[in-house]
Amino acid sequence: MIQSSGNTALPMQYALYIASAFGALALFMMMPRQGYNPRKIGALIGAMTLGALWLCLAEYLPDTLGIERAAFAYYYIFSFLAIACATRVITHTQPVHAALWFVMMVIASVGIFLILDAEFIAFATLIIYGGAILVTYLFVIMLASETSDAQAPQHTPIYDRIAYEPVAAVAAGFFLLAVLLTAIFTPLPSNPDAHSPSDSQIIASTLTNRAARRLAQQAEFDEIANLPTALADNRSLDNTEHVGLDLFRSHPLGLELTGVILLVSLVGAVVIAKLRVEPDTAEPAPA
Amino acid sequence: MPQPIDPLTLAHFQMTAAILFVMGVIGFLTRRNLIIMFLCTEMMFQGIALSLLAFSRFHLNHTGQTFVIFLLSIAAAEAALALALVVLLFRRKRTLDAQAWTQLSG
Repeated sequence: MIQSSGNTALPMQYALYIASAFGALALFMMMPRQGYNPRKIGALIGAMTLGALWLCLAEYLPDTLGIERAAFAYYYIFSFLAIACATRVITHTQPVHAALWFVMMVIASVGIFLILDAEFIAFATLIIYGGAILVTYLFVIMLASETSDAQAPQHTPIYDRIAYEPVAAVAAGFFLLAVLLTAIFTPLPSNPDAHSPSDSQIIASTLTNRAARRLAQQAEFDEIANLPTALADNRSLDNTEHVGLDLFRSHPLGLELTGVILLVSLVGAVVIAKLRVEPDTAEPAPA
Repeated sequence: MPQPIDPLTLAHFQMTAAILFVMGVIGFLTRRNLIIMFLCTEMMFQGIALSLLAFSRFHLNHTGQTFVIFLLSIAAAEAALALALVVLLFRRKRTLDAQAWTQLSG
């Protein structure tokens, strides 16, 4: 349980601010630029900052996590991977490599989803993001590449080789991060309302039809009349069933609207793709 | 049945979510390649999804996971439309530079 006295929270806050400042410095050094590029030093500072932050946070870990400690150890690994890959996405000068690092970031965050017991979302994210969306991005990068030889760095367009206003963007971003971390690490009371009805309760109350059907199937072999609770007690719902129940029982309107949005975007994408545009010849493109 | 997680455990996951979101913001501000800019919005989506899942686990309530499904479909719709627009803009100016379109700001 976290103490609200501030004794343990205060040094952690300072550690978070210091880590934010060092992270900003590291990210600024890793930004693409012309001339001397201290990218390796920036990466070293960033990795050391994250490592020090992890050590500092692990020191204040409560005794009862709510998650098994072995599983929580993987949080540090996956989180480090996700943050490192995210950094590489925004600092890499070649769009194809940035997209591949993004896939890596998705895989690492899917690992964190698994720690949070969200198996269905984890694999859906992996398939949709890592598969579908990223393949679309790669297709567009190939369709819209200006140079045939993307391997040669001197052929990379200038707007990929120089970051735009890195100082202002990094300062603003990490100021936002510091504010967010202050809010996040403000001690929150533990949640006494966090209780989920047991699976047998859900089955008995909302899935009566299913229990009855199974009962009917079993009735041929079994003469016992009052089976549903006995049947339900032996059964637990997995994550997919929980999410499906919540989606279809509590949010049917949202589901319909999502279908409409997908249809509209499909029609929109087709219309945009069929537009015929002439290249702007009056004004040459800035190289 | 899973145990409710400690608020400090929740804060750890929220921190990773916040860092992913901020990385997306910084990438969106500093990169001038239209495709990378939209990739950074996907990174922000990823941070939000992680935040929703952490709160879902904290409250032992599956609505957060349901919202991530909605978020995934919105992200897919956004990617389809945005990439179609990017291809259109590229055919027009033969460049992916966002600054080639500064005339839009008047």
